[in-house]
Amino acid sequence: MAARGLAVAVARRSWAPAPRGEGPRRLLQQQALPGPDQPIEMENPYKEPPKKCVLCGIKVDYKNVQLLSQFVSPYTGRIYGRHLTGLCNKKQKEISKTIKRAQVLGFMPVMFKNTSFLTDPKICNVKY
Amino acid sequence: MHSRRRVEWQILLLSKCMFPSLVLEALQPETAAVLKRTVEALMEKGAVVRNLENLGERALPYKISKHKQRHRRGGYFLVDLEAPPSIVSTMMDHLGRDIDVIRRAFIKHPVSKTEECSGIIPVNFEDKLTAKKK
Repeated sequence: MAARGLAVAVARRSWAPAPRGEGPRRLLQQQALPGPDQPIEMENPYKEPPKKCVLCGIKVDYKNVQLLSQFVSPYTGRIYGRHLTGLCNKKQKEISKTIKRAQVLGFMPVMFKNTSFLTDPKICNVKY
Repeated sequence: MHSRRRVEWQILLLSKCMFPSLVLEALQPETAAVLKRTVEALMEKGAVVRNLENLGERALPYKISKHKQRHRRGGYFLVDLEAPPSIVSTMMDHLGRDIDVIRRAFIKHPVSKTEECSGIIPVNFEDKLTAKKK
């Protein structure tokens, strides 16, 4: 109610502009003063090296059917997408193209995964 | 003489194997004849054959129908050669007419460039969202 609102002391809200003379003056006066105690500017020394995908540095060959079969579904023989394999852009494209090539040239089956490679370690994040 | 651009090729042959020679390591005379024919044809057209590899004889991943026959087994051969690109179409034609060749392919020699893999660079989604379209 209006009467109650007037009776209560209204504290200044954070979004209300500060009256002149009050409030912090930003930015212009924040430059660090030179001295032996101030932090030295440098690159983050604890920076981690960029994460590498599983195939980083490995050459992908169309003859290496076992490697290619690890990125293919065992039931339908479909190539897994990027969100499942976790490969970087370049390698995903390479693998895709190589699998297609191997399938055409008669190295790799199309509709299923080669039975001898079914017990290979799982690289992709697929829950069966 | 026009300048010939030499590119490295790998040619892959699946040739049909009549008798599965699992015991004998030596090539069947028919397979040897096929390879000889192919290499001779290549050399005639001006290719330099570097290497001829036998990738083994195995059951094909799927049945291939070619030259009025359904094939289930085949021998895989790899021919490393240097040749001008004009040879490709003529050779594919030539090999297509050969009854003993099931599948043929010319593949460019893979140039190994995988030394500079810098890993996955995290994408800054904010920048991508507010990026101006040209």
